[in-house]
Amino acid sequence: MSMNALRVVWRITRLNFRAQLEYRAEFLMMIAIGAVWQVSVIVFATVLLTRFSGMGGWDSSDVLLIPATRMMAHGLFVLLLGRVHGLGRHIQEGKIDAYLLRPLPVHRQVQLDSFPTNAIGDLAVAAGLLAGALGRSHLDWTAGRVTYLIAAILGGMLLEAALFTAVASASLRFPAADYWGNWLEELLGTFGSYPLNVLPKAVGGLLTYGLPLAFVAYFPAAVLTGHGTGAPYWLAAGSPLVGVLAYLGARLLWRWSLRHYTGVNG
Amino acid sequence: MAVLHAWRAARVTPLGELHSPPRVTAALLRLTVQVVLVASLWRGLYAATGTTGGLGRDQTVTYAVLAVLASRLRELDQYTGRDTVMQHMHYGTIVYWYLRPLPPQRYYALRSLGERLYGLAWALAGYAVCLPAGVVEPPGSAAVAGVFALSLLLGQWVLHYVMLVIDQLCFWTLRNGAALLILVFAQNLLSGVYAPLWFFPHWFVTMSGFLPFQATLSVPLSLYVGRIPLSEAGVQLAVQAAWVVALALFTRLLWRRAARRVISQGG
Repeated sequence: MSMNALRVVWRITRLNFRAQLEYRAEFLMMIAIGAVWQVSVIVFATVLLTRFSGMGGWDSSDVLLIPATRMMAHGLFVLLLGRVHGLGRHIQEGKIDAYLLRPLPVHRQVQLDSFPTNAIGDLAVAAGLLAGALGRSHLDWTAGRVTYLIAAILGGMLLEAALFTAVASASLRFPAADYWGNWLEELLGTFGSYPLNVLPKAVGGLLTYGLPLAFVAYFPAAVLTGHGTGAPYWLAAGSPLVGVLAYLGARLLWRWSLRHYTGVNG
Repeated sequence: MAVLHAWRAARVTPLGELHSPPRVTAALLRLTVQVVLVASLWRGLYAATGTTGGLGRDQTVTYAVLAVLASRLRELDQYTGRDTVMQHMHYGTIVYWYLRPLPPQRYYALRSLGERLYGLAWALAGYAVCLPAGVVEPPGSAAVAGVFALSLLLGQWVLHYVMLVIDQLCFWTLRNGAALLILVFAQNLLSGVYAPLWFFPHWFVTMSGFLPFQATLSVPLSLYVGRIPLSEAGVQLAVQAAWVVALALFTRLLWRRAARRVISQGG
């Protein structure tokens, strides 16, 4: 992206932010929803940890690292790449047709459609949980571990973006495919926050190789804390790279889908 | 004739769903996978634990799976059909709700009834598969089944009014997207969709007792799995009924006030 493009992105983002301030109550509630959504994940994880201690052979301080990583990745995804979620509605309203006419890449226009106010709440809670998880952790946080954790968070963000971009690509053909995105969000929130070895092998395998949810936070946390996952170590350790590759693949899919997009006028 | 008109209003959203094959396929797959995942999760968690929170393994699995099935009663999308109150406020078409021979409150209630009946068909189909498959346990007795059915009906009635309040909010705030998300979150958490309320700390359960969400799902499901004994069912049903009455009166008042805010063609 050139400097000029960056300047355009920054100016549109500032405008979008001001537009969000137009409805003050909605603005504040959107921040709240980001926060309470994340809090619900924490409450769920806390209840499970309290009632079912020693979950999958992990102690609670290690388990906390999983929701903390996932929530940070999710918060960053919502902030930077999240507008692909819910794209079906834009397609239904014919916005894509207008995007195709403007001298800016369609994907960038989609991302600049609005400012994700809820990301503020998302990230605030996620940062708090990550600080708490690191504070309770018994691990020695060497530079290598910290770097891996940052790479894992970015990889998780890209993996989540890849999954939602794939759904958005499908929406270009079937706008109702948006429904899959809602489900995906729910699955990531519910099953992405604790060790998957609690589940039967077949189900855990499905959430690893079918829907690659394990790569978002479970595998990186297992690598950092030294727990086995049932998957080859190199695969678990390569989670951040899986995120990068998945995102590149999803963008290719998006480009292909956009080339085959047909508006209501045929 | 009135019944025919009611039927036509009630079937709007279900028809929209049925004309959208990806949505129906997704709903089927989502329900199936969610039931398998939820049942696997709770069974896995109970592998090293006995009874906790007053719930045994099979009771919890039954509770959780029924919660997943019941979520189908709430998940229809009016947005795609551009018939949410928020969209009507945005486009200014809310005024047509007040120009038709059908009062807006009755239209809203009929739509809601149709959506819930459609969702109930899904939930019943899921139950018909899960029961013989041994995923959920049958109710303890015919009396338990009867009380559960009555409690579920009251719970859905409460939920209808809660959703209505959020929609009515649009008459004052124009938008209710965030409020709706908060409601879904609160309903999931405080009605026991994420995890049975019995697993939560005592203060949390006491707090949720003052809100209507517990009455929507936690009470009927707890009655079904026997966590609330039949001897206490009367009190619980009375609380649910009280919420129905209180919310009915409140929403009635809001409809009246909302009507004064709608201006047609500049007044």
